[in-house]
Amino acid sequence: MRQVNQHKSKLFKFSTVKSLHKWLSLLVFIQLLIWLGTGLFFNLMDHNKARGNYNKQAVVVQEINNQRLLNPNLIIAMSHVPVSEVTLVQRLGHPYYLLTHEKGLYSHFKSDYSLLDAYTGTELIVDSNVASQLAQASYKGVGDISSVVILEPPIADMLKEKNTVWQINFLDDLETSVYVDASSGRLVGHSNEDKRFVDFFFMLHFMDYPFLGKGSVGSFNNGQITFFALLTLAFCLTGFIWVIELLRKGHYKFGL
Amino acid sequence: MPLYQESRKYHKWFMLFVGFQLLTWSITGAYMVLMDIDYIHGDTLVINKQKNLAADQVMYSFKELLVTYPQASNIELGFMLKKVVYRFNLNKNKMLISAFNGQKLSPISQQLAVSIAKENYHDNSVNIEKVLLLTGDSPSELNRRHLPVWRVDFDDFSSPSFYISANSGQLVTKRHNYWRIFDWMFVFHVMDYIDGEADNKLLLLFTVLAFIGSIFGLVLTYYRLTPKHYSPKPNQVEKY
Repeated sequence: MRQVNQHKSKLFKFSTVKSLHKWLSLLVFIQLLIWLGTGLFFNLMDHNKARGNYNKQAVVVQEINNQRLLNPNLIIAMSHVPVSEVTLVQRLGHPYYLLTHEKGLYSHFKSDYSLLDAYTGTELIVDSNVASQLAQASYKGVGDISSVVILEPPIADMLKEKNTVWQINFLDDLETSVYVDASSGRLVGHSNEDKRFVDFFFMLHFMDYPFLGKGSVGSFNNGQITFFALLTLAFCLTGFIWVIELLRKGHYKFGL
Repeated sequence: MPLYQESRKYHKWFMLFVGFQLLTWSITGAYMVLMDIDYIHGDTLVINKQKNLAADQVMYSFKELLVTYPQASNIELGFMLKKVVYRFNLNKNKMLISAFNGQKLSPISQQLAVSIAKENYHDNSVNIEKVLLLTGDSPSELNRRHLPVWRVDFDDFSSPSFYISANSGQLVTKRHNYWRIFDWMFVFHVMDYIDGEADNKLLLLFTVLAFIGSIFGLVLTYYRLTPKHYSPKPNQVEKY
């Protein structure tokens, strides 16, 4: 050992590198194998299935009668809440003015909307019945609706979503769930068993465990992964130095 | 201990081939987890101001708009700076008209693009370094569908760029140096040097080899760290 160290740079002793590598291996091996295993899964998985859109279809757009559209200034004057945007949208083949009261930087950020019938100005409340019809319009599977639930974030299937949503569950082989924004009636997305299976692997890869810290948040910025990432970095670095040292000392003998 | 000897040999050889990639994974992975993803997305660079519409600002209706542009879709009434405007899709392009008199406003001028960029930027004391109109070619950091677009570079920490759509007058995306580094890190993490997807054969090969190599390493951990097998004899521990 002494002999080896004499050749080493003065910055560190090679025996320390080896000892570090050995002890770090004990600390990181489980997570390292999980990272490699889940990484392998992401490499081989069916990327289309992973999106959870197997039973999703494009919503049909209907012709609208332009002449019947209410003037937007009337709509703005009618609203009791400040309006920053008015968008002409369709819900179930009928035109509505979508009034933005509060809008986040992205659609999944906290927002607040209301829907007014573009012909009559009557407000459309997205209740369980409307939400079910909206979900049905985006669904091409064969299952019937088994349940309709209103959910506050965090939503297990849609961790990034920050708005209140309706969850419409369908009775099909894939256990499809459709999510509809409760204030705008916007289709948030579909999820099913395939997507949930993939999400489980992402949870493992990102160490985004539901029982730690803030719970699952659908991101990889958490304390536990930062800790293990740094340990693993030290582990790989010491291992890499080891390989370089073996090469330098001629311990890799090519051929027999 | 034949298993120990064999494992040592195989671990050594596997790591000759995948050790560098394992180091790359750990460096790129550490960068990605250490950097706050909202910061990387540039969300902190944007100030999300909200203005409210007044009824007398809208003198031109959806009805009139649809008479002039019957093919218009996704029609949106909102603000561009202090002006109330309509934005809509027409033949796969965005279009911008005044909501006061229906006058066409797109494509927007350089001066307007700079004002919009400045309005959205979180720090109004920062100067603009460069402005560029991109029409035919998009840099790799920008999705082609946003073209034509004004690229407004700020003279600030991490060289932020705001991309303002010339047709909609909206901030479509924002980039800065730590995003650019993050993008490279991701490419090296998934080993796809062409289109940054995780389903390539190179990654498959390296992941499988790294997995097998690590299992041999785990065998070594077992022999080196369990008291039963741990031998303090220096000449035994010494050999690689």
